[in-house]
Amino acid sequence: MSVGSEINNKGQKPPVLVIGAGISGIEASLLLANAGRKVYLVEKSSYTGGNVIKWEEVYPNMDCATCMVAPKQQDMLANENIELLTLSEVESIQGTPGDYTVKVRKRARYVSMVECIGCSACFDPCPVEVDNDFESGMTKRKAIYIPCAGALPNVPAIDTENCLRFTKGESCELCKEACMFEAIEYDQQDEELELKVGAVVVATGFDTFDLTKVPQYGYRKFENVYSALELERLRATNGPTTGELVLRNGQPPKSAAIIHCVGRVEKGYCSSVCCMYSLKHAHYLQDKVPGVKIYQIYSDLCIPGKSYQRFYEKVKEHGVDFIRGNVLEVSEQGKGLTIKYKTEDGKENTIAVDMLILAPAIEPRADSSEVAKIFNIAQGDGGFFDERELEPAPAGAPREGIFIAGCAQGPKDIQESVAEAEAMVGKILSLSK
Amino acid sequence: MAKKIGVYVCECGANIADNVDIDKVLAEVSSLSNVEVVEKHKLLCSEAGKAFLKESIQEHGLTNVVVAACSPKQHELTFMNVCEQAGLNPYLLQLANIREQCAWVTPDKEEATEKALRATKAAISRVRYHAPLEKKEVECNPDVLVIGGGIAGIKAAQLLAGPHRKVYLVEKTASLGGKVNEFEKLFPNMDSAAAAISQEIQKLLQAENVEVLTESEVTEILGFLGNFEVKVHKKAEDQEMGLDVGAIVLAIGFALLDPGSLSQYGYGKFDDVYTSLEFERMNASGEILLKNGKQPGSVAIIHCVGREEKGYCSRVCCLHSLKFARYLKSRISGVKVSQFYSDLCIPGKSHQKFYEETKELGVDFIRVQNTEVAENGKGMVIKYETEAGLKGSLEADMVVLSSAIEPSSDTSKFAEMLNIPLSESGFFSEEHEKLAPISTPAEGIFIVGCAQGPQSVADSVVQSEAAAGKILSTLVPGKKLELEAKTSEISDAFCTGCQTCISVCPYGAITFDEAKRISVVNEVLCHGCGNCVAACPSGAASLKHFTFTQLYQELEEALR
Repeated sequence: MSVGSEINNKGQKPPVLVIGAGISGIEASLLLANAGRKVYLVEKSSYTGGNVIKWEEVYPNMDCATCMVAPKQQDMLANENIELLTLSEVESIQGTPGDYTVKVRKRARYVSMVECIGCSACFDPCPVEVDNDFESGMTKRKAIYIPCAGALPNVPAIDTENCLRFTKGESCELCKEACMFEAIEYDQQDEELELKVGAVVVATGFDTFDLTKVPQYGYRKFENVYSALELERLRATNGPTTGELVLRNGQPPKSAAIIHCVGRVEKGYCSSVCCMYSLKHAHYLQDKVPGVKIYQIYSDLCIPGKSYQRFYEKVKEHGVDFIRGNVLEVSEQGKGLTIKYKTEDGKENTIAVDMLILAPAIEPRADSSEVAKIFNIAQGDGGFFDERELEPAPAGAPREGIFIAGCAQGPKDIQESVAEAEAMVGKILSLSK
Repeated sequence: MAKKIGVYVCECGANIADNVDIDKVLAEVSSLSNVEVVEKHKLLCSEAGKAFLKESIQEHGLTNVVVAACSPKQHELTFMNVCEQAGLNPYLLQLANIREQCAWVTPDKEEATEKALRATKAAISRVRYHAPLEKKEVECNPDVLVIGGGIAGIKAAQLLAGPHRKVYLVEKTASLGGKVNEFEKLFPNMDSAAAAISQEIQKLLQAENVEVLTESEVTEILGFLGNFEVKVHKKAEDQEMGLDVGAIVLAIGFALLDPGSLSQYGYGKFDDVYTSLEFERMNASGEILLKNGKQPGSVAIIHCVGREEKGYCSRVCCLHSLKFARYLKSRISGVKVSQFYSDLCIPGKSHQKFYEETKELGVDFIRVQNTEVAENGKGMVIKYETEAGLKGSLEADMVVLSSAIEPSSDTSKFAEMLNIPLSESGFFSEEHEKLAPISTPAEGIFIVGCAQGPQSVADSVVQSEAAAGKILSTLVPGKKLELEAKTSEISDAFCTGCQTCISVCPYGAITFDEAKRISVVNEVLCHGCGNCVAACPSGAASLKHFTFTQLYQELEEALR
């Protein structure tokens, strides 16, 4: 069956499966739904918004990220054509373009999406406290939780790996007792869903390079070495410090260094967005910590396109030292950090700072090999999903009706991810025009 | 008919009830004039709550409803739907946010109650002046005009054309393919550009319902999303043609900065200094030769020509400069290739590999602050200064200048014709840099490829497909477009014709009626932002659902 026959044999335009409710997945879902297509939006976590909602502001216009995305999330949640399946993962796909059968495992949330109004009354009584992954462990959360204030859908989930009922078989019902709306449902079961869809958009996003693999930067060894994502959460008004950029001792830094391209050599590619967000981080620091001394240690400045250089110039004007060099080692001297680096002409030098921010490479998600296997997608350069149909798919293989969008395809910024999501919708809708 | 207002306060379980004395609120508002019924409910957004609300509206024959509950972001739509089901126009509802703005943020119960009371009274005061609004629908034309027959325009047209949608592709020159025609290969896979572009042109020509108009120029565009009227001048026949379309894709490509304006590069002065496009054409012709007919022994490729002047990085020059090194190395054995660059910009998963493979062919990379092409006896020499301030020089038989990518010369013409703003760098501005990268503030008009900003062939294709996605999603054949109900209107009687409103409207929704000498709002384009209302010096502009009376009544009560 050719891709051109995306209209299934009943003459209907079949639903579309979108995997990943980050910015790409949401954009694709909204456009497909607007065209009248039924969309199943499958999301692995308990919330939507992907990585973008972790950020306070986005370059170069410094728009508030959550304010920017929340209306899209609200539209998606309210859209009658979109069925959001959180805590869900695709297990298998069979069939041909226009006529796939997809098995989805939907884990129980144990909180009713219908009854819960998101008042948070269940959090306080929960006796379990664990590190909040969403905040890179910088705060604690309960076993019944939402990852951050403002998360959508605003309905908590019970983390069965930590809840006393599920781990120790205890009869704790404190969250249920606190709920005024009978929304806690301990007897919910995981479900196996079978969905009939015509096409699939894979928008599973990215992970960041594991900084402990490059011990010379001192990550997790010295307390004031942060990943870029951690800095974003510090700056986030709904984050662990409600937006204050402070060191682990609660004091603002007097000086900070931002190191670009961490993991680039290991990965073998440029992650496209790190120069720009590192400039944004300098902007955060300039904005929140008056008088802070800022260094950027970089190799090549990659600020492509019509508007990014202006942002760089603005940040530079406000006082940032740009050092072209390779970092050799980070060490701790008293409470401060010393960064030893080598310039292009071979000279070694050091700077001392209070705070160090590392810009890690963007890499395919940890589970991308499994996803690739399920959908028969090729993994190309860097292990990202390959958009190119290099060879004809074997008969009956699902590859043809599968479309890749966003950072699942390769490192890129929000603008490019959104465009790509819209592009995949263009391809899908054009099949049944 | 006398107003009959119903006031419903939601307890939201204990969320509101615990911190707001709801009975006190009810008691105080029940005596206000026209208040027909006051009720509280445990959870108005629940199925039981909605049924209760619907029944109560019908039972009391209400003309207006106030719901004092959570943020309108949460449940305004829910309660508007209930009103509609109860047979009441949904715009006759007003929400008072007494949860997020009172119960949850004001710790003292007495203060929270006072605040909730004021918010509720303000809503009652406002809702009296609400008028019923209708969401209008308009017919729309699914056909599309694509301007520009380069790779971006071709790809957009391919995806869009179909049995129920005609696509007109208007190209200024005599042939399709645009700049890609001039390339031999495409980075990073070094696929044949000619094969790729001819295949795409073939696909386009075979597609159903595509009309290609070469040697044609768009001279006028009037109208709006779903209903554009376009005039095209067919130059060969000197004929004018009218087209009706629902959406327009601007794929007008780019121009190259003329390095002749930058004297340090010796362009136009020395024989063998070429722009990147000239070099592409020379290579595509099959041979790379100096003006004297000999093969160059050494070639210098200078990056970022004009970057400083333009104020932006043109995104593709590093990569095509690497490609040029490949061309040279494959055509001329032993040729010495030097790249003069400042920062290597090779973003994305595949490009560093391309760089490394190119470097391995024996290409020199010299990081410089500035360069100058000077005369050296019979040949040329590149004089340069490194970042550390060291000076150096290198002889070269040929110099290739990777010039900045500029907006096409037609950009300002279309910007004016379509009322699309330009970005600081002169390219068309997108509606939102992050979330609506190929849309413009003028609905139904899309910017793709290098018209949107400098980019690669691959990125241009993605943007074209994105425009197709937006259009296929919006203009569904046979489906009407639903319009915003809360639009602005301009009073004929009060408008003085000063046109201030036109200058502040970001959507091009206001036009000037020359005959009546007044401004007129196009409801199809108006998003209800209210700019014109704030700017109008004579009070002629008003926004439905946010009229001065409604706002004053609400404020007066809130601030009493």
